[in-house]
Amino acid sequence: MNGWREGMRRVNRAPLILAGVWLITLLVSLPLTLALRDAIADHLGASLAADRAAAGVDYDWMQEFGDVARGSMVTFKPTIIGFGAVLDNLSGFLDDTTRPIAIVGFASAYVGLWIFLAGGILDRYARDRATRAYGFFAACGVFFFRFVRLAVAQWIVYAFLFQSMHVWLFDRLYHNLILDVTVERTAFLIRLALYVVFGLVLAACNLIFDYAKVRAVVEDRRSALGAIVAALRFIGRNSAAAATLYLLNIALFLIVIGVYAVVAPGAGTAGPSMWAAFLIGQCYIAARLWVKLVFWGSATALFQERLAHAGYVARPEPVWPDSPAADAISF
Amino acid sequence: MRWCRLFWYRSAEASRLRSLEFLARSIIKAVALLLYASAAAAQPATGVLNPPRSPRNANYTIDATLDARAHTISGSEVITWRNITMRPADDLEFHLYWNAWKHDRTTFMRERALGSGGANRAPAPDADRARIDVTSLVITSPVAANLTTQLHFIQPDDGNMDDETVMAAPLPQPIAPGGSVTIEVKWTAHIPRPVARTGVIGNYFFIAQWFPKLGVFQDRGWNCHQFHAHTEFFSDYGVYDVSLTVPQGWTLGATGVERERRDNPANRTTTHRYYQEDVHDFVWTTSPDYVERTARFDHSKLPAVDMRLLLQPEHAQQAERHFDATRATLKYYGEWFGPYPYGHITIIDPAYQSGAGGMEYPTLFTAGTRWLAPSDVSTPEGVTVHEAGHQFWYGIVGNNEFEDAWMDEGFNTFSTARTIAQMPRANHLAVRYFGGFIPWVFTEIPLARETEGNRLHPYRHDAKADEPSTPTYRYYPPTSGSITYNKTALWLNTLERWIGWPALQRIMQTHFERWKFKHPKPQDFFDATTDVLGRNIGWFFDQVYRSSNVFDYGVQDLSSSHEADQYRTTVVVRRYGEATFPVDVLVTFKNGDRVTERWDGRDRWKAYSYDKPSPALSAEVDPSRLLLLDVNVTNNSRTLEPKTSAAAAKWSLKWMVWLQDHLLSWAFFV
Repeated sequence: MNGWREGMRRVNRAPLILAGVWLITLLVSLPLTLALRDAIADHLGASLAADRAAAGVDYDWMQEFGDVARGSMVTFKPTIIGFGAVLDNLSGFLDDTTRPIAIVGFASAYVGLWIFLAGGILDRYARDRATRAYGFFAACGVFFFRFVRLAVAQWIVYAFLFQSMHVWLFDRLYHNLILDVTVERTAFLIRLALYVVFGLVLAACNLIFDYAKVRAVVEDRRSALGAIVAALRFIGRNSAAAATLYLLNIALFLIVIGVYAVVAPGAGTAGPSMWAAFLIGQCYIAARLWVKLVFWGSATALFQERLAHAGYVARPEPVWPDSPAADAISF
Repeated sequence: MRWCRLFWYRSAEASRLRSLEFLARSIIKAVALLLYASAAAAQPATGVLNPPRSPRNANYTIDATLDARAHTISGSEVITWRNITMRPADDLEFHLYWNAWKHDRTTFMRERALGSGGANRAPAPDADRARIDVTSLVITSPVAANLTTQLHFIQPDDGNMDDETVMAAPLPQPIAPGGSVTIEVKWTAHIPRPVARTGVIGNYFFIAQWFPKLGVFQDRGWNCHQFHAHTEFFSDYGVYDVSLTVPQGWTLGATGVERERRDNPANRTTTHRYYQEDVHDFVWTTSPDYVERTARFDHSKLPAVDMRLLLQPEHAQQAERHFDATRATLKYYGEWFGPYPYGHITIIDPAYQSGAGGMEYPTLFTAGTRWLAPSDVSTPEGVTVHEAGHQFWYGIVGNNEFEDAWMDEGFNTFSTARTIAQMPRANHLAVRYFGGFIPWVFTEIPLARETEGNRLHPYRHDAKADEPSTPTYRYYPPTSGSITYNKTALWLNTLERWIGWPALQRIMQTHFERWKFKHPKPQDFFDATTDVLGRNIGWFFDQVYRSSNVFDYGVQDLSSSHEADQYRTTVVVRRYGEATFPVDVLVTFKNGDRVTERWDGRDRWKAYSYDKPSPALSAEVDPSRLLLLDVNVTNNSRTLEPKTSAAAAKWSLKWMVWLQDHLLSWAFFV
């Protein structure tokens, strides 16, 4: 619990990081959103269907639009409304639903940005004091290629999990297990059990990679594989604490989801209520990002609590040389 | 509506006489129905219909035994068939449906693989496949003859020699018109894993299209099609007396009424005898797991119906929803088209993964629901009403489903949507997540009868796939449903909006009355339309039935310019599709003035101009949306004050939150 509280405190003490990742999330999603806006406007034209679409849900129009939609636009369905959007993504994640290539492309770029930022974020949480922009981005730069190497390892593991294990669990084992099942509830419980199995493996990998990043940053490790091995050692010696902390963070994630399930706005109307709904949506996105950061902050805090001490980071803070301009002035 | 008034209003005197005549007829009909209903209410259903409703020219006495472990059926039947045509019959032709699932080279399997990349193949192991083998076929009357060695398979539809779903037997002497023949058939069959709703999974057996069944002999010879992927039924009406032996203690549901039940202690089986008159098929199901519920349909003007529901235990809480939907069907179909005459109906809730969700058989149908079935979603109501409705459109009016499936499926899809709309319950869009198990209801999206009930969306996608007048078994299989079900429902609803429900109801009632327990052809329905309306609307059927053209009207241009002290408004409407239909054009002006024009819709475009003190606000073609077949409704209107930007902004912001949430799923991997 100490690590968890400490992690939340560290995340809360660095609000600019949260604001920054929220802004990045917003900016990455902006191009596709603008493209969709144009496509919707083109399809509606100057029709009265636009009035109906602005006033509420014109399901008929949505289906017409869906029939001509291409690329990322095909995801424009009623499932984007309210909490349905969250369920759609959660379900798509667990069921490994294929998304349009444009969305995969932007999501990959988003992941790339996170890989770049991860060093700076963890460094900030590990030092638990303001590192300023130059310190933050210096850490981003220092750890970027290390985390790219780690990301390769992650990609291999996650690709295996989704391309092999998921296929084996849900396309083969599941179908074999329910082959003669005549009760839907039983089939669902079997699927639920497989979700748990898959989720546990996924969480275990995620946990290892989180601590690998933490150790790489706190101990200034250069080897990605070395960081992974070190993470395994740490988790092995502190398995109960690490697992409890992870579960607490999962609980936090579920609370955020649960709250949004209650407050998620529906289709609504155009105008001010549209912006209010968007604001609520952004609060939810910010909360999700906060939870993501708490995962990292609390892992950092736990690691420092058990193996180092609060605020200990092996790598010294960067000290920037005087600029050529200062040199010129001294003449 | 205008023509309607013209048709009926010939003269005041004629109208008065007609009213009196109508009143007298109504009173007589009501009294008769009341007597009939009270008589029916007093007696339990027996499977007997007196007087006979049909020619009863194909009667079956069947004795079959289920081996639940070996998944086999051994059966024998005595068929008494009478030639009711004007030509002699030289041979007999039988459906052997189960041979469609014998291997992957049958016509059924080949058609099923079309468009699905072969994904919907039957299970590969032989143990999971079906087959039916006739071991003996003997004529006992009018002359005795053993035809077993002369049996052979024919492929009247496609010449596919690998297809063994139609068996022919030459007769030793032709059966003259009016003559009869008695045939004794013995067969064995292997029950497949569920395919096309038939088969076994766990302890659930659903046995449909299972016995050697005669085709329909017509003046042009036998009408006995091979089993195709999307067409199934066509048989003569008759009397079915069927004894079924199944494991002791298992619940059995079947066409008709159980007349006798006898335990066989020696082999721990029970023989159930079911009986039904004036039906054209027989189906049964058995399982030890069924939960049985009963209820009754009562109506002041319609005969009472005993309802028997065999439910899966996990759906026991949904019994009333099944009964309510069946009641609604018996009520509305009964009031609109004609009464359900059998006095009993059996509803089967099929087992999960049985592939049996929603299918019609005489006096029995499968519904289909889910473990989690929110109350404001029409599951199980939709499928229950649809399949119960088939008792009328398929069961009582027995069109040739191989050739004119739209006459039952389309009529019934239209009637289903209309019935669901009458039911006092919400019907919202639900999407299922997490492997399709967890429903989420979008309460902001009520499903409209006109579009969702008639399935406009899938039709739009496949609108040009086939001409409905093509024999159904020759439709492109993956899209046949869009034409059979959806297009028909849409044009019927268009007809309803155009001529009014009272007129369409009279047409459908007339058709029902004329063709109950008979085999109507499409022209028979068109004739009923002409007779009721008093004019021929063949041009409409040319558009919707004899053509695959699509309807698409739109407003191409709308402008208002200030000239002197007036505004010059110009509207250009256009026919983008090939099909034609008369449509209204509504022009609304800023000062509230509205002008409605009637356009015959034949030319490719038409322009309207107005000089008004106010500029135009909007123009709409088909503003009341009579033409439900219009595949692009968005282009039906144009306004000079569009809210396009607001709508686009609103929906793109909604989608943006979805996208951001999706991006966060990816962030998990960092």
